[in-house]
Amino acid sequence: MAEITMKNVVKKYGDGFPAVNDVSLDIADGEFMILVGPSGCGKSTLLRMIVGLEDITSGDMLIGGKRVNDQAPRDRNLAMVFQNYALYPHLSVFENIAFPLRLRKNLPEEEIRKKVEAAAETLELTEHLDRKPGNLSGGQRQRVAMGRAIVRDADAFLFDEPLSNLDAKLRGQMRTEILRMQRRLGITTVYVTHDQTEAMTLGDRVALLRKGEIQQVATPRELYEHPVNMFVAGFIGSPPMNFVPAESIDGQLKLPFVTFDLPAEMREAVGDRHHVIVGIRPERFDDASVIDDAHRGGGITFPVDVEVVEWLGNEQFAYIPYDVDDELTSGLSELEKELDSERMRSQLVVALDPSSRVTDQSKAEIWFDPRHLHIFDVDSGENLTNEVVVAPAATA
Amino acid sequence: MSGRKTSNWWTFWGILILIWAAFPLLWMVSLSFKDPTTFRSAEPSFFPQEWTWTNYETVFSDELFTSALRNSFGIAIIATAISVVIAMFASYAIARLDFRGKKLLLSMALGIAMFPQAALVGPLFNMWRGLGIYDTWIGLIIPYLTFALPLSIWTMSAFFRQIPWEMEQAAQVDGATAWQAFRKVIVPLAAPGVFTTAILTFFFCWNEFLLAISLTSTDRARTVPAALSFFTGASQFESPVTAVMAASVVVTIPVVILVLLFQRRIVAGLTAGAVKG
Repeated sequence: MAEITMKNVVKKYGDGFPAVNDVSLDIADGEFMILVGPSGCGKSTLLRMIVGLEDITSGDMLIGGKRVNDQAPRDRNLAMVFQNYALYPHLSVFENIAFPLRLRKNLPEEEIRKKVEAAAETLELTEHLDRKPGNLSGGQRQRVAMGRAIVRDADAFLFDEPLSNLDAKLRGQMRTEILRMQRRLGITTVYVTHDQTEAMTLGDRVALLRKGEIQQVATPRELYEHPVNMFVAGFIGSPPMNFVPAESIDGQLKLPFVTFDLPAEMREAVGDRHHVIVGIRPERFDDASVIDDAHRGGGITFPVDVEVVEWLGNEQFAYIPYDVDDELTSGLSELEKELDSERMRSQLVVALDPSSRVTDQSKAEIWFDPRHLHIFDVDSGENLTNEVVVAPAATA
Repeated sequence: MSGRKTSNWWTFWGILILIWAAFPLLWMVSLSFKDPTTFRSAEPSFFPQEWTWTNYETVFSDELFTSALRNSFGIAIIATAISVVIAMFASYAIARLDFRGKKLLLSMALGIAMFPQAALVGPLFNMWRGLGIYDTWIGLIIPYLTFALPLSIWTMSAFFRQIPWEMEQAAQVDGATAWQAFRKVIVPLAAPGVFTTAILTFFFCWNEFLLAISLTSTDRARTVPAALSFFTGASQFESPVTAVMAASVVVTIPVVILVLLFQRRIVAGLTAGAVKG
């Protein structure tokens, strides 16, 4: 049990490239903290700095209040599950789990056996104890790796993308398994992933990194509803948030496909900016024809030409192209690149109610509530409306 | 049908090559059992007309051979042990650590392996006499190490490189010191490589002739390959051929045993299952 504190931690590689840049993070005792971000954002490096496999260039790393910068990994009493499990192939499952215990001096054989069997019991590995890791399935290997971690009463668990080698179904199961185990043991956990579903479902809090810098540390809900900038807004959510260049003219917001009055609070936040980027999550839109009148009041509707519709049973997505000056989208394409997606063209992704009968190549009326949109600064990408709480419209 | 045909061809060529390769060996064994006085008989035959152990008795009663056998075993085993231990540490360092001059070290090792031994015999002979280690075990072990190490380092570092880094890091996180991680995780995983290297080194030392004959003069350090060339028969008037053959059979036996014993260990693949395959 321990809290982990990072103060202005920096990791520079030989060529001076900062893989982790000035990260400060407090992880409370017993907290499940997720480090998430696109590949190359430094999340794994940060984890390896916590465990001691990477040197810390500058800054302080404290575990349980003690500075550990200069401690070897074995003195930090942390348990880590590696991406490809790193099981010892020459040892049986029993010996794999017992390995950390055997390294401690004067631990009686009897006690080792008891602890290993208890761990195996929790992970349902009892019948596999005599087998070699090479003969186990992916999920079983994963559990052995976890067994090796839980057997030793470590101060914290560290996971480095532990589920990325499993197939989709197993991944879902193991995710719940990890969550259940963490809740029961109540051990501080740091979990690195690039998968936002894992990030959102597992974490008490999520730290989103970009190019070695922390963008936002918040609960998953906070991250989704109040992203601090366009990067966070674009990373969290699937399909990703729509970013639309817009002009603010006399209290009105002019989008390529609709112009409407801004709520007063937002108007204030936008200030005298002329160009802004508007972010709207696909699920905030809907087909106007399936919205009942009680809901409709606060929102606005506009006509569109639907290009393609994808129906998935529990939801459906419509793709709606629109025209916009290339000049205005130049900043956006850079962001897209960072988020590992290609910006093919200007289009709106809209999640519709599955009962909606909108079809490909048809005209439709789309509804959305302006209170749910985010407005970002064009240059800094900062969310201008983050603190704005718009009063519910009178009709709602 | 065509699959059957090709496999027949393979069998045919396989047997042909086997006969080709085994013939001298069989000839050697056969000769070693022939009677030394009559083996050049008027009607030559491949197999001895009369099987006899005389030649083996001759070689084992000959001090020249028994001391050579002792020397061979001693020198080959000591040289192998030292070479494997040094090569293990050296190749671990080469595979895992970043240090200045790594490239230089590797290319020098390769250079030494390529160096013609014959060019060294003369200088070594003079140096060893000056140092007083001419005709001693150590006088042979040192040059054997020189020539065996580069090869050992190259083979073993290839094996070490195959072992995932994460094995070691996991061990460190689990609480192992660098030495414990090396001993409990890396060495067992590299065992096939260590065995392969050890056997190759042993063969090299066991079979070496040039240095053995140049740097020894008496029973003190002369190894079997060198001793064989000094063989005479039981008496001056007897041809030593059959006795030499018997001695050759004796020195071949350890090699064959080693290969049979360790052929499974030599086959790599112990790391299967370490990481997601």
